[in-house]
Amino acid sequence: MDNDTVNRISKMKKMIFNNLMESYTPFPMDKKYYSSWTDKLPKNKDTIIYTSYMYQISVVLKRYEKLFPKISNINMPKRLMNISKFLIKPDEKELKRSFSIINNISNLLNKNNIDFGYLYDEEPYSGAILLESGFLSEFKEYGNKLYEFFKNKNIKKIITIDPHTTNALKRLKKLINFDIDVKNYIELINFNGSGEYVIHDSCLYSRAMGMYDTIRNKINNSGIKIDEDYLTTSRDMGTCCGGPLSLVSANDSDEIAKLRSEQLLKINENVLVMCPLCYQNLSPYVDNIKDLAEVVS
Amino acid sequence: MNYEWNVSINKAILNNAPKVNKILEENPYIRETAKELRNKKLDVLDNIDFYINKTEESVKKTGGNFHFAKDSNEAMEIVKNIIKDKKNIVLSKSNVLYEIKLRDELSKLGKDVWETDLGEYLVQINNDMPSHLIAPAIHLSKEKVSELLNKNLDKTINENTSVEDMVRAVRKFLMEKYLGSEVGITGANAIASDTGSVLLIENEGNIRIDTVLPEIHIAITGIDKIVPTLKDAFNEVIVQASYAGFYPPTYINVTSGPSATGDIELKKVSPATGPKEFHLILIDNGRKEAINSDLKESLLCIRCGRCYFSCPAYKYYGKDFGDPPYTGPTGIMWSAITAKKYDKSLLCMHSGGCREVCPMDINIPEEIERIKFMELK
Ligand code: SF4
Repeated sequence: MDNDTVNRISKMKKMIFNNLMESYTPFPMDKKYYSSWTDKLPKNKDTIIYTSYMYQISVVLKRYEKLFPKISNINMPKRLMNISKFLIKPDEKELKRSFSIINNISNLLNKNNIDFGYLYDEEPYSGAILLESGFLSEFKEYGNKLYEFFKNKNIKKIITIDPHTTNALKRLKKLINFDIDVKNYIELINFNGSGEYVIHDSCLYSRAMGMYDTIRNKINNSGIKIDEDYLTTSRDMGTCCGGPLSLVSANDSDEIAKLRSEQLLKINENVLVMCPLCYQNLSPYVDNIKDLAEVVS
Repeated sequence: MNYEWNVSINKAILNNAPKVNKILEENPYIRETAKELRNKKLDVLDNIDFYINKTEESVKKTGGNFHFAKDSNEAMEIVKNIIKDKKNIVLSKSNVLYEIKLRDELSKLGKDVWETDLGEYLVQINNDMPSHLIAPAIHLSKEKVSELLNKNLDKTINENTSVEDMVRAVRKFLMEKYLGSEVGITGANAIASDTGSVLLIENEGNIRIDTVLPEIHIAITGIDKIVPTLKDAFNEVIVQASYAGFYPPTYINVTSGPSATGDIELKKVSPATGPKEFHLILIDNGRKEAINSDLKESLLCIRCGRCYFSCPAYKYYGKDFGDPPYTGPTGIMWSAITAKKYDKSLLCMHSGGCREVCPMDINIPEEIERIKFMELK
């Protein structure tokens, strides 16, 4: 690995970590805008739906990743980073799509008689990017801050809606004293659906967190037909969309997404994902790709 | 991505992964045995000095010689002292031999050293490094192999030569090397501390010759290969072979000291037909330190090579995902332990298939996550 890459990643670590410690977000972003997918949920509840902005920022993440090398090469003062061009505006259509996914998850939770609130623009980011990039001490340090934040808000149960956030919080349970109950929405709901798909598993849901069988059972029971192939979709042989590599090499990440897409499309042209980042990575190569929360009710 | 590599790796996966799955489905005892083995290996790691001492005693009881090397240099010094001016040496495939750069060092001393595993022989004549623990030459296509053999072995070989004929030509060449060999150097798939036995598993038959024909047999391996008993050692080689896709394995070789006979008045006399000297060199090279670190679980790896085929980084980068001989998911762990090299961990996507298929149930993604941390801290 060349030194430039390692230096760039280390600089990025500092930047993300500093931002998180100051403002609970990995980079400057408009929290009001990203939390405006609802205005109907109560604020003061001890159970919350927790987006960690993942669906919302997934639509701009690739552009931030392209920007990172440039920002890390110029030692820009933070106050300048918070303005103008570093606040990337998402594509309206894509953001609308992410809002409708979160709304659908929220409706599904209601339908399954789960009572919950939302923190709106006070919601903090989970720190997943630190964990997944190998910044373990920073992740733990930020994790402690996050834990304090939730404790102060009297939060007892967190309902996560994406794999990266779920994994980050579950790992915090092992790494620090994060004793708040964490449940993923898929574990909590039953749903109906139709159509025939090949599943591209989220590595974190299906392998790291062992949800492979739960997800298969729920989808099979919903009325959706799943096409399987040992070398493509099994727990053993299914592989990543390439997303986590993008901070190291955007090009390689993209190539891997392309290879994964080709593999999936041999099984079925309709691909089902459960992660906003998988969606972003695979969608350039798969015309008919849907998030689970777009096709069930 | 390199087109040739993409074709080769996909062929290898197609040939191997469903086969391993079928072996495990048809022989459920293997998964159970793997679980038992994991516990035995954990016990060894928790009591490593006890088991090293026990292995030493047992090897000596069989009439063999025991050596402990703290690093590659010490291991090479021991080897040089054993072989002295002997020149003709045959080797069997072993990553630890690469780890200590044995072939290079012996070649520098003017020894005639030959790899006898076919894949490893091809890697040797290509001045290359292995791309997989079990299948070192999967990156070489048939066309490339014919080119190599034409250049290095037999001018009549070309791209139209059948694979059978290529194998025959190498076999003929190696037979001459075996017959003249004075020292056979192997790795080990398992070491039984209660009997001092070295177990080696293979399909080609070369290891059987390497361990019997030359008058000196040296086995060099890491302390992680020790298991408490001979039964555990058999379990380890069966699990390793099955998870590598070879069941039943063609040969399991057991060596407990030098050759001996009791055929005249039941008096034990050594040597008999096989080697007159047997040496076991156990090497530390960072392993003990790893036992007391965050990377302890990595040492449970039995090097079956299955995790490679579930790994998107290996599928994409090939042997660049790691530092040969230690490549693939397991290679990231072994490079960290034995060479303190951590940088290639950054290419890991934590896809997690490696953990699903690992017989030792190593949480490889979390091990690699910690290695990333070592690189970036
Ligand atoms: S890490 Fe596990 S799967 Fe990979 S080579 Fe080692 S034992 Fe086999």
